[in-house]
Amino acid sequence: MKVRIRRFDGQKEWWQDYEVEAKPFTTILDILNYIRENLDHTLAYRHSCQMGSCGSCGVVINGKPALACQTRVGELKTDTLRIEPLYNYRVIRDLVVDLTDFVNKHRSVKPWMIRKNPQELEEAPSEFKVTPQQNLTFIQFDYCIMCGVCLAACPTVAIDPLFIGPQALAQAYRYIADPRDEGFEERIDVLDDSHGVWRCHFAGACSYVCPKGVDPAKAIQYLKKEILKFRLLRKRKKAVPPAEIVQKEPPPNAPKPPPFDFKFEGGVE
Amino acid sequence: MVEENKRYKAGILRSLWPHGFNIERYTYTLHRITGVILALYLIAHVFEIFHVALGPAAWQQTLQELGSLGIFEKIGLWIIAGSALYHGANGLRLILNEAFGMLLGKPVLPEYPYMPTSLSRSQKIAIYILTAIVVILWIWAGLYLLEGLGIV
Amino acid sequence: METLDYDVAIVGTGLAGLRTAIEILRKDKGRLGVKVAVISKIYLMRSHSVSAEGGTSAVLYPEEGDSFELMAWDTIKGSDFLADQDAVWRFVHLATQEIRLIERWGVPWNRREDGRIEQRWFGGLSFPRATYAQDKTGFFEMRALYDTLLKYDNWDRFDENFVTSVVIENGQFKGFTAIDLRTGNFRYFRAKAGVIATGGAGQLYRITSMAASSTGDGYGIAYNAGLPLKDMEFVQFHPTGLVPRGLLITEAARGEGAYLINKDGERFMKRYAPSKMELAPRDIVSRAIMKEIMEGRGIYDEHSGLYHVWLDMRHLGKERIEEKLPFIREIGLKYLGIDIVDQPLPIRPTVHYNMGGIHTDIDGKVLMANGTPVRGLWAAGEAACVSIHGANRLGSNGTNDCLVYGYIVGNDVYNYIERERPQYPDQPRTALSAEEDRIFGRILGRESGGEDVYQLRNELKDTMERYVHVYRTGSELEKAVVKIKELKERYKNIRLTDRSRTFNYNLQHALELGFMLDIAHVIAQGALLRTESRGAHARLDYPNRDDEHWLKHTIALRSDGEPSFSYIPVRITMWKPVARVY
Repeated sequence: MKVRIRRFDGQKEWWQDYEVEAKPFTTILDILNYIRENLDHTLAYRHSCQMGSCGSCGVVINGKPALACQTRVGELKTDTLRIEPLYNYRVIRDLVVDLTDFVNKHRSVKPWMIRKNPQELEEAPSEFKVTPQQNLTFIQFDYCIMCGVCLAACPTVAIDPLFIGPQALAQAYRYIADPRDEGFEERIDVLDDSHGVWRCHFAGACSYVCPKGVDPAKAIQYLKKEILKFRLLRKRKKAVPPAEIVQKEPPPNAPKPPPFDFKFEGGVE
Repeated sequence: MVEENKRYKAGILRSLWPHGFNIERYTYTLHRITGVILALYLIAHVFEIFHVALGPAAWQQTLQELGSLGIFEKIGLWIIAGSALYHGANGLRLILNEAFGMLLGKPVLPEYPYMPTSLSRSQKIAIYILTAIVVILWIWAGLYLLEGLGIV
Repeated sequence: METLDYDVAIVGTGLAGLRTAIEILRKDKGRLGVKVAVISKIYLMRSHSVSAEGGTSAVLYPEEGDSFELMAWDTIKGSDFLADQDAVWRFVHLATQEIRLIERWGVPWNRREDGRIEQRWFGGLSFPRATYAQDKTGFFEMRALYDTLLKYDNWDRFDENFVTSVVIENGQFKGFTAIDLRTGNFRYFRAKAGVIATGGAGQLYRITSMAASSTGDGYGIAYNAGLPLKDMEFVQFHPTGLVPRGLLITEAARGEGAYLINKDGERFMKRYAPSKMELAPRDIVSRAIMKEIMEGRGIYDEHSGLYHVWLDMRHLGKERIEEKLPFIREIGLKYLGIDIVDQPLPIRPTVHYNMGGIHTDIDGKVLMANGTPVRGLWAAGEAACVSIHGANRLGSNGTNDCLVYGYIVGNDVYNYIERERPQYPDQPRTALSAEEDRIFGRILGRESGGEDVYQLRNELKDTMERYVHVYRTGSELEKAVVKIKELKERYKNIRLTDRSRTFNYNLQHALELGFMLDIAHVIAQGALLRTESRGAHARLDYPNRDDEHWLKHTIALRSDGEPSFSYIPVRITMWKPVARVY
């Protein structure tokens, strides 16, 4: 099949054509690997885990941002491939884009656990009690692999480079929705901003392209609701306390540990 | 924090070009375009109303001009009516989404192949219904305008 | 050349690297203002720890019947008694606190109805103690650690900096040299303390569950710096790698009750491990699968030309699969179009882990050949060999090794800086210019020669896949050593097509290949010398374990281009080796 790749070497840009063989279950990453190993050693692209869990290989395939490692030739229903670097990022070389802004935006929403008593995050004699149902309120947004594909699809990022972006906002909501977190007030200044949640107009493209089903658009709309609720009604959910420490004797039928005081010498040089 | 985006600084064209994406992105594009049309109309509208300040004669003349619009002006008005209808109806949907968290679905355990619930059936149905209402009202508005021209 | 000064430089940003960085920063809390450089050849959060799937072992609820003794015994028995038992003892006690700590930092462990953490069965365990978050345990742990690291200010990230060597002079660590892939600049990280946490070397093989970035750079830089590597011949094969590429199908599938089935529809594990069945340790299950395939009871796959057996999860039901193994279902659907709910998966053993690594003591300090530690250098995680895992790592002991040793090493590094107040080392000019010349002069700038990096790499992978696999024999290993030596000769002659300085992956792959050839040599030669079968090292010509001669760690040192081997005793403090029956 014919593969057209958008190349860039620092000065000039061009389309380069390659001819490769592909079966329906060949992934785009297989094709890129084949090209780099056999046809053109100078092709630059990122990849690592090859199974869709590290997020390195985000590229635009036939106009749609996606992970190269989990896009198969068969699902594209075309015999020409057009591979470009992710939109809305600065291209450094070929398919490699600059993710510096992306990681800084993520960091700006304070995506970490915040407790009113920080000591609770330093020592852990017991766990927080979270039921499976409470887990469900945030686990979807914890699926994010930080590939940056959603920002390439987002029409707002295209016109506002300062917009925090769907990935970071979804991560802010992941922690806000987490029943263990108490940091809503600390995050709200960054989120409740003209470049924060209110810049999102719900085109839903982020959710549409997300390779892990994170649904950032849903998170952002919920975030808007939470912020309105807080600003208008001063309402906030209560976080769970750490579990009480239970120390009981082992039940009588527990398997007996093997002998423990044996000292072994010899048998080695 | 943000370096200058030199290459693929996509700009307005990339932002408004929804081809290959989901239907919500088409509604987004339409929402933005109709928004711009309404903004332009608002400026023109303010300009017209301004004639009141120039005295009764000027105002009368403005009203007279408005009473005898040509075919192109009528089409313009029709587009503005459509914009207002669409922008209003879609805006209502967005308010339901954004302020009340409706039509989004609950947070779930994603199941492969991933179908985001925020773009799921209820959202699509809402879009189809509002589009249908907008189209019907828009046709009605067109008929009303054509009547004024004496065609229908 | 650019010189960057840091108190601590951490190479590798998987679980071990991130945990070390967090431990240093949270102990410091701005008191000494320790500055940490976190160096990775890919982006942070892209490290292969994200692909760890099954679980993390820890004794959480001793009142339910688990105990530290039991976990230590499982680990040591699983290691085929090659583990250092004092290290295991320390390790099992620290794992519990790590699980709870990262829970507080945000890991969404699967829960019981009352809100406590749920655990499940895993291979070789005598109690269900694999703590898990669906089948993406490593991923969620990485998320929690990365997010927590972002909280601290006193560190700098060096994404896409490829570390090429560690500088050690007179037993003193002096820093790392690296290439900034983005600009192609040569960098010298001058640091008071260094930590190597670069993970394993799965890319030596063609069928591997490891990422393209797992090329064993940490082993390579240590080996080139004259540091010993320990027990490198023990390469773990995970029994269930998806045909054809070897993508990981977690052991948790079997922990949840999946069956292994051969061509005749038989659950063949009953012949190899009658009591544990599919939940025997990985080395035993891998050997069983290879035996089935060798004896003609495997299934032939036309597309890849590989033989495989089936992993059957149909009886688990969709609900349980969606709740506990969603990622496995995703992988099956994505790469083969097979839904595990109603079809079995084709699997065969895949390279998964290196039990061996940089020779360290029980605190993670890197040891020199004479047994004394290098001043200011530590190693953690898969890159290090303490040794907790001995000849075979138990499933679910990998991630907690990273967490526990991240904690231990972080603690130790901070104590070293606090107590000894080391100064910045002086710049080792000759070493630096020699390294710069090696990379940019002799590899990148080379005009003559015609060997191709990828050609050599593929030949190396084929050699290892063919001769140094689950079952090994003396004659095959000899062939492998000869072939590797030939490849090493040809490597001196490579020529790069790409001369750019920006993201020159051609150069990176050439440097990685240099490391890989060295490691492959150590593995093959070490395996040839060890004339017994122990854990993951199974020789057809020496099928029995030989405690009299071989209950000892292999130590490989670089001498004149070839590895030279010596042996050190195993620290056995609790349990005498017994026959390993499951």
